[in-house]
Amino acid sequence: MSNDGLILDLSADLVSVRRRSALREAILLLAVAVAELALFLWLGMMRPDMGRMIGSGYMLWKLGSLAALAAMSCATAIRSFSPVVSPRTGSVLTLALAGAAIAAATFIDPGAASGSAILDRLSPARGLLCATSIVVLSMPIMAVLAMLMRRGAPAHPRASAFASGLAAASCGALVFAFCCPINDPLYIIVWYSAGCVVVVMAARWLLPRRFRL
Amino acid sequence: MRLRSLSTFVTIPPPERGRRMDGRPSSEPARDEWGGLMVAAQDGHGGAYRRLLSAISEWLYGYFQRRLPHRDVDDAVQETLLAVHRRRHTYDPRYPFKPWLAAIAKRKWIDQLRGLGRRPTEALHEDLSIGDHEASVTSASILVGLLERLRPAQAQVITLVKLQGYSIEEASGETGLSQSAVKMNIHRGLARLTAYIEGAQNVE
Repeated sequence: MSNDGLILDLSADLVSVRRRSALREAILLLAVAVAELALFLWLGMMRPDMGRMIGSGYMLWKLGSLAALAAMSCATAIRSFSPVVSPRTGSVLTLALAGAAIAAATFIDPGAASGSAILDRLSPARGLLCATSIVVLSMPIMAVLAMLMRRGAPAHPRASAFASGLAAASCGALVFAFCCPINDPLYIIVWYSAGCVVVVMAARWLLPRRFRL
Repeated sequence: MRLRSLSTFVTIPPPERGRRMDGRPSSEPARDEWGGLMVAAQDGHGGAYRRLLSAISEWLYGYFQRRLPHRDVDDAVQETLLAVHRRRHTYDPRYPFKPWLAAIAKRKWIDQLRGLGRRPTEALHEDLSIGDHEASVTSASILVGLLERLRPAQAQVITLVKLQGYSIEEASGETGLSQSAVKMNIHRGLARLTAYIEGAQNVE
C-alpha cells in the first residue's frame, strides 16, 4: 500500500480519543495499592504490635524507605509510558535511594537480634515466605502497570518494563511491611531485596514481550 | 576489500539551518502547527489528521532516508504512521509535537535495525538488473556514520551485506571470514548498534 493510501485509510472514519493522563494513571495505581493494603488489613494480617512499633526508628525506616521507593518508582514508570520520557534517570535514582535506605539500616538498632548468628537472623525458611509474599502482592500492581504500558507509548519498552518492575516490587514490599513481624534490618534487606529482584526480573522479561509501539 | 574507513563511502556534512540533509529547503513547520493538527485529530477531525499525516510522512521519509538502507525506508515510514495512529492519544498538547514524533520514529528505527539483523540474506541473481549501490549507501548517511562505532569486522560485513546487497557467501569471500563469522558479526554488530542508539539521546 502506498503512503497516500495508508493515510487515507487511517484518516477515514477517525474517531476521537481520550487523551492519556499521567495523573489519572497515578490515581488508578494508588487506588489499586490502597485497595490491596485495605484488603490485607481487613483480613487481619497486620502485625499485632503495630500500634507500639509505628513510632519506632526501625518502623519509620522500613515504612518510610519503602513508601519513598514506591512513590519514586511509580512516578518513573508512569512518566516513562510517554515516548518523550526515558525512565533511565528515574530508575537510577530509585536504585540510589534503595542503596541509601540500605546504608541507613546500619544506624538502626537490630534490638534483640543483634547477638544472634547471621543464619538465625536471616531465618531462611521464614525469609523465603516473606519474599514469596512480596512477589504475590506485587502482581496486581504489575498487572495494572502492564496494562498502562500497553496503552501508553513507551519509546524504551525494556527500560519501562524494568521501571514498572521496580514500582510493582516496592509497592508489594510496602504492603507486606505492614504484616511482617520481623524487627531485624538485616532480614528486611536480604529477603525484601530477594523478593523485589524476582519481581523486577519477571517484569523486565514479561512486559516487553509482544509489545509493539 | 578491507574497510579502511567508512567515511570513504560517504562524507556527512553538517546540515545547514533551515535545510534538509538532502539539500532541499526544510519543510518543517512551526511545532504548534503539527501539534494543533494532532489536537484536532484527537478530537476526531479526519481532515486535520490527513493533513498532519501527509506532512509528517514527508518528514519521516527524510528521517529514515538518512538512517536506513533505501529499500527499508518506505516500510519504516508506514510503520511509524501506524504507530502514530495507534498512540495518538498519548500526545500531550501542552508539549511540542516534534519530540513526540521523533521519539516514536527513533523507536521504529531501532525496530527496523533489529529486523535487518533477523532478515535472511539471499544472494541476488547474476543477471538481475539493478542500479549501483551508491545512492542507498550514501542516503543512509547517519547509519554509515554509526557503523564506525563498531569493530571494523562488524562494520565491514554489515556494510557489505545489509547496505550493498552482498550475499553471505560473497561477503565471506570478500572479507576472508567464514560464513558463520559473517553472520555472527552482522548479528552482534546490529545488536550493539541498536543498544547504542537506544542509550543515546540524539543520534545525528
